[in-house]
Amino acid sequence: MSTSTESIAFDTAAREKDADTFAMWVFVGSEAMLFGAIVLVFLVARLSYGDAFAPASRHLSLPLGTLNTAVLITSSFTMALAHMCANAARWRATIWSLTATALLGVVFLGIKAAEYTMEFHEGIAPVLGAPFIYDGPDPVHARFFFSLYFAMTSLHALHLICGIVVVAGMLAMWPRTVNSSRVRWVGSIGLYWHFVDIVWVFLFPILYLASR
Amino acid sequence: MSELRKFTLVYAGLLLLLALTVSSSFIDLKGFNSALNLAIATAKAVLIGLVFMQLSHEKTLPRLAVGATALWLIVLFGLTLAGQ
Repeated sequence: MSTSTESIAFDTAAREKDADTFAMWVFVGSEAMLFGAIVLVFLVARLSYGDAFAPASRHLSLPLGTLNTAVLITSSFTMALAHMCANAARWRATIWSLTATALLGVVFLGIKAAEYTMEFHEGIAPVLGAPFIYDGPDPVHARFFFSLYFAMTSLHALHLICGIVVVAGMLAMWPRTVNSSRVRWVGSIGLYWHFVDIVWVFLFPILYLASR
Repeated sequence: MSELRKFTLVYAGLLLLLALTVSSSFIDLKGFNSALNLAIATAKAVLIGLVFMQLSHEKTLPRLAVGATALWLIVLFGLTLAGQ
């Protein structure tokens, strides 16, 4: 890796960076269509079965949902700091910021797992063959609400797990990479991480605040 | 403004918007709660996109990708919800 570009497909490092950034934005766009479709399904169901969805939403933990939103926003902040430090070639600070980002992602998943456990115990998790016990109005459509809740939050969690794995992989390969590659990698994973944060920014109000 | 200061201000703004959306949910706005929540979520997404994802500094191609995504999402949501 003595050349300024990582791939031989590019003449200059600037062009390679532009290609990386554009490709990541196209990828983020395709992911936005995926989450957009599932959010649209939820919104249409909410318009049709609002009387069942609103009371069902009250069974979700607003304090834990709010805390998780704050955790994910903080992780986006530390990821932005990682990119800023990488641009300034402050490698130690970049590593610390990336580590903090990944750890905050793990904290988010831990809180989410605690929420899931509570919901399984309460009997409002109609997934993996668990019994659905619900004494509120319109249990059929309330079950639909919880099915969508688990589908949307688990798809989001899956994306976050991928993000954590990539950040951890990047940190593991850190000593063997050249500086220009580090900057591009941090920029690319940063775009993905912020997108996953944006998805949660929308999931939080439509799921946790549906009754309010 | 230094980049660190800008990021810190946006971070504080995002937490403030989170506090606003949660506290507004305890006030009955006669059916406008959901609209307010979505408006606040959109404001948060714009802040993250423009500052953290640095879209405000990007060149034409990334902006084109974002514009294409927005266009297709508008078509997806618009045509579906128009029939509701």
